[in-house]
Amino acid sequence: MTEVSPVDWLTAAEALQADGFDYFDWLGCVDEIGRRDCLRIVLVVRNLGEDAEPRMLICSLPRDDPRIDTVSGVFAGAAWHEREVAELFGVVFVGGERRRLLLSPDFEGTPLRKDEVLGARTGMNWPGAKEPGESEASPGRRRMVPPGVPEPEIWGDRDSSQPPADPAEVAESAIGGRVRRTRR
Amino acid sequence: MNSPSQSHRWIRLIEPACTSCMICARECPSWCISIDSHTEPVGGLPPGARDRTRNVLDRFAIDWSLCMYCGICVEECPYDALEWAGDLTQPRSSSELLVEEMVEHTSDATSR
Repeated sequence: MTEVSPVDWLTAAEALQADGFDYFDWLGCVDEIGRRDCLRIVLVVRNLGEDAEPRMLICSLPRDDPRIDTVSGVFAGAAWHEREVAELFGVVFVGGERRRLLLSPDFEGTPLRKDEVLGARTGMNWPGAKEPGESEASPGRRRMVPPGVPEPEIWGDRDSSQPPADPAEVAESAIGGRVRRTRR
Repeated sequence: MNSPSQSHRWIRLIEPACTSCMICARECPSWCISIDSHTEPVGGLPPGARDRTRNVLDRFAIDWSLCMYCGICVEECPYDALEWAGDLTQPRSSSELLVEEMVEHTSDATSR
């Protein structure tokens, strides 16, 4: 696993290819919010000729302006993966294909970023809020909450005198599962 | 009946196996499973034993207007109480009627 800076990304990919790791495996992205304020791009390539471990190249980009060179000129198969990362995480691949792959052209948002909120669900009753043996969800100190729906105090019903919540706070609140809610 | 092309049409509840644990309703990405349950004391315990309760399923409904047939509920159920079936989801004239109740009420509802 090699971490490179965004300016060295393309050179590092070319070097891997020249080194015999010319089989593109996959390219992905991880939202590191809550740990660091960045998106991590991961490139995995293999050397099919030798019995070698796959090589992994990683690069951290700032979440507010993630830009990186495309490697689709080196590994043609990376183009689809880059288009997917571009639309799901909002990463700009400089010199790459700008068309969308999966989402409709008029969709706004970056669905796989962890601070993305499922806004329409904030006003709905989640069927999983009930505990076994309940017909009505009772308020408890450790309630189950659905993923993607932050607490209203953080997103949606926030005190208008307060500035909007920090993306890391939204992401942490929308994580779902059994959480201890101290605010109410 | 259960060839691959015909077994992905409907999800069946095997009611005796269901423990009302809520896992399927919580895992469902489209929020289409509604479960109501209550607890009843377990009878026939030896004298001096601590009181115990068990969950009794009152309502299990799948809203077929929301379900996307992903099968996550079938996969996640730890008691194998949900399974794929070959029957087709019945067509209805409104989205409300697509909410299918899976528990047949044999006992009197007022006895809860």
